[in-house]
Amino acid sequence: MTPTLTVNGITKTFGGQLALDDVSLTIEPGEIRALVGQNGCGKSTLIKILAGFHEPDAGFAEVAGVPLTLGNGPASEAAGLRFVHQDLGLVGNLDTVDNLALGMGYPSYKGAIRWSVERKRAKEAIKDLGYDFDVMRPVGGLQISERTAVAIARALSTSGAEPHLLILDEPTANLPATEAQRLYKLIHRVSERGLAVLFVSHHFDEVFELAQTVTVLRDGRHIVTRPVDGLTEPALVELVIGRTLDEFHHDVGAVEQGPVVLEAKGLRGETIRGLDFKVHTGEIVGVAGITGSGREELAGMVFGGLWREGEITMMGKHLSRQRPDVSMAMGMGLVPAERHANAAFMASTLRENVTLVDPGRHMRGWVLRQRSERADVSAWLDKLDVRPSNTEFGMAQLSGGNQQKVVMARWLRKEPKLFILDEPTQGVDVGAKADIHRLIDEAAALGTGVLVTSTDHEELVRLCHRVLVLRNGRVIDEIRGGRLTSETITAATIGRAQSTDAA
Amino acid sequence: MTVNDQAAGSVAPATEPSPQPEKPKSHFSFGLDRFSGLYVWAALILIFAIWVPSLFLTAQNARIVAGSEAITAIVALGLIVPVAAGSFDLSIAGTLGLSVCIVMWMQANGYPWPLGIVVSLIVGVLVGLVNSFVVVKLRVDSFIATLGMSSILVAAAYWVTDGQQIVIGISPHFVVLGQKLVFGLPLPVFYMIGIAIILWWLLEYTPIGRYLYAVGGNPQAARLAGVRVDRITTGAFMTSGFVAAFAGVVLAAKLGSASPDVGTSYLLPAFSAVFLGATQIKPGRVNVLGTLIAIFLLATGVKGLQLVGTPSYVKDLFNGLALIIAVALAARTARRRT
Repeated sequence: MTPTLTVNGITKTFGGQLALDDVSLTIEPGEIRALVGQNGCGKSTLIKILAGFHEPDAGFAEVAGVPLTLGNGPASEAAGLRFVHQDLGLVGNLDTVDNLALGMGYPSYKGAIRWSVERKRAKEAIKDLGYDFDVMRPVGGLQISERTAVAIARALSTSGAEPHLLILDEPTANLPATEAQRLYKLIHRVSERGLAVLFVSHHFDEVFELAQTVTVLRDGRHIVTRPVDGLTEPALVELVIGRTLDEFHHDVGAVEQGPVVLEAKGLRGETIRGLDFKVHTGEIVGVAGITGSGREELAGMVFGGLWREGEITMMGKHLSRQRPDVSMAMGMGLVPAERHANAAFMASTLRENVTLVDPGRHMRGWVLRQRSERADVSAWLDKLDVRPSNTEFGMAQLSGGNQQKVVMARWLRKEPKLFILDEPTQGVDVGAKADIHRLIDEAAALGTGVLVTSTDHEELVRLCHRVLVLRNGRVIDEIRGGRLTSETITAATIGRAQSTDAA
Repeated sequence: MTVNDQAAGSVAPATEPSPQPEKPKSHFSFGLDRFSGLYVWAALILIFAIWVPSLFLTAQNARIVAGSEAITAIVALGLIVPVAAGSFDLSIAGTLGLSVCIVMWMQANGYPWPLGIVVSLIVGVLVGLVNSFVVVKLRVDSFIATLGMSSILVAAAYWVTDGQQIVIGISPHFVVLGQKLVFGLPLPVFYMIGIAIILWWLLEYTPIGRYLYAVGGNPQAARLAGVRVDRITTGAFMTSGFVAAFAGVVLAAKLGSASPDVGTSYLLPAFSAVFLGATQIKPGRVNVLGTLIAIFLLATGVKGLQLVGTPSYVKDLFNGLALIIAVALAARTARRRT
C-alpha cells in the first residue's frame, strides 16, 4: 500500500539555529498519528513546511506516492493535505453554512446564491462527521467541539483535490472532557473514510485515547515513531523531555507558622463575593474553580488589574490604590493568563521583555547601559533555560513555553514578595511545565508567597501547600494535606450533586 | 529589529567577555534591510549628480534641501513619540500652523518676541494635553481625536490672524533665529540635530523609551507590568505638541511672515518619513535615525526631480507613494517576523 505521507530527510535552519534535523516519517492511509514534543522541538516547523509556509533546506515529501512541492501553500492543498489550526479560523458571527461556503464557494444559479442547496450541503457535511446541530446558528454560539467539527468539515470539503491527510494542531486544547470524547469519535470517523490524521498534542491523555501511533521529536530530531499500545505515560514523558521527572511533596504545617505576606478581607469583584484568605511567606496557595466561579478573576483583582472591593494588605501595609504599578511597588508580581494578550511584547527583544518592570536598574547617570542590561538578562535566560537564550532575539521567535519563561524571568528578577500566577502553564509543553513548576518551588523556598490559580488540578496538587476551591464567587472548600488530590479538587469545584454525571 | 540589534551592538568595541560562549551568532550581512534607505539615498544623489551635475551638485542646493527639510524633520521627530506609543497625532500640522500665527501675531501687536515663543510653546503643550485627555479619558481613538483637533486648530489660526497674512511688526532679532547661516548651514538644521539627539537619547537610552515602545506594542501587557499607560500616552501627546509648536516658531522665523494655512503641507511628509523610517535602522520600530534618513531621502528625490524639470506636483506624488510603500514594507517585515 502506498503511504499517505512520506517525509524524507527534512532539514530546516532559522538564522543559524537548526529547527529540524534530517526528519523522516511515513503515515499510512487511515492511520491516526500523534506528533508530540516540547515547544521548540520542531513540531510546528514541520507542520508549517507541510503547509507550504516554510521551504526546507533539504529533504523531500510525497503525498500518496506523488512528490509534493514544498514551500508552496496551494501545492500542499492540491496534493490533498488539509490543516485545522488551533484557533480554527472560523468567522464567529456567521453560521455554519456560510463558514463552509467561505471554503467551498457558494453554489449559484445564474449568479444568485442558491441558499437551499448550500444549506443541504452544510447539513450533510456536518452529519458525515457524526454531529447534528443547527447549521443556521452563528458558529460563535456553538460548543467548542461543534466548532471544531465545522472547521474540520470545511478543511475536508474545500473544493478541488481529494483530501488525503488531515493535520490538526492541538485539537482538544481548552476542551472539556465530555466534548473531547465527541471530537475523538469525529476523528475516528474521518480515519474510517481512509484519510490519515496527524495531530499535534501536548495532552498525553489525548495521545493515548486517540492515536494509534506516536512520533516524538526532540531538539529538531526524530526520536521515535511507535505504536501507542504498550507505551506508558511516564515512558512517553521521558521520551519527550529526555529525562525523568521528579516527584515533589510539600511540608504543609511549617509554612503557616511564618509571617503573612498577603491578607485579603471581604474581597468582591464581578463574580467574587466576599473572599478572605492569607498567603504566608514561602507558602504556595492554589485556587481552583470552574469558569464563572471567580477563579479567573482573582489574580487580576489582587494585583489591581481588575476592579475590586474589599481590603488587601501586603506585609501588614494596607493597599489603598487599585493599580498594578502600586501593587508592584508593594512587592507583588503577576504572571497573567493568556500570555499573548496580557504579558508578551511580541515585537520586542527578550531583553526588553524582561527588564520592562524596572529598566531604570541599568541607568548609569543619564544613560541606560545596554551592555550591563544584556549581561543581567542573559544570566536570567540561562537560569530559566530559555531557548534560544540570545537576549536580542525577538519574543515572536520563541515557542510558547519559552515565552512563558521569559515572563517568569521578568518577575523573578524583581524578587517579588508575593508572586501571583494565573494559569502558569497554559499552552506549555511538559518539559517547560516541569521547569516552571521547579521555578515556583524555588521562589517559595526563598520566602516568596505564591498564589496560583489554575484549571489544571494535577498542577495544583503538584505545586501547592493548600488549595482554595471557589464556587459561585465564594470559597467552598480548602483542601490540604492527605486530601489534596486532583480528584478531590475536581469534585469540590463542580459540587457533589454534579460530580456523578460529569464523569 | 532583533537580529539587527545585535549587529548594531557588535559595532561597539567587543572587549566585554561574552557571558555565554555558545551564543548563536547572527550571520554576516551588509545590512541591506536596515540600511537600504542609505543605499537608495546614495543612489539618488549619484543619479542626479550624473543627470544634472551643474544644478544638483552645488553647495547652495545642499543648503536649500537641508534648510527646507529641517522643519519637516522637526515635526516628524516629534511625531515619532506618540507613534511609538501606538497613537496617531494628526494635529501636529495644525499645532505648527497655530504656533506660527501666535508667535507672529504677538509681535505684530507689540509683545516682545521671546514672550511670543514661550506662549506658542505653551499652547503646543496644551494642545497635546487636550488630545491626551480626549484619547485617555474620553476613550476616543487617537486618529479621530487628533483629526478633529487639527480642524479646530486651523479654525484657531484663522481666529488669531483674522484670516490675514501677518508681515509687519516682526522683530529682526526673531527672524535671525530662522535665517542665519552657521558653518554655511541655516540655523534650523542645528535645531533639528539638537531635537534629534534629545529624542534619540529619550527613546533609546532611558526607561521612558522602553515604556513608550511597550505601550505601543501591547498596552494591556504594559499596564500589567506596572507601566502607567495613561501617563505615557499623555506625555507622548504633550511632546509631539511641544515639538510641533517649536517647529512652528522656527518656520515663522524662517519665513518672516505668517498665514493661517501654512501648517497643512507638513502633515503628510512627516507621516511618510516616520513610517518609512520604521523600515530603517530598527526595522519594525519607528526611530529617530530612520526618520531622518527617510526625510532626506525623500527630499533629495523630490529636489532632483524638480531640477530635472518635472512639474511641481511631483512632491505630493512622491510623499504619498512613500507613505503607502513604507507601511506596506512595514507590514511585510511584521509578517516575516512571526
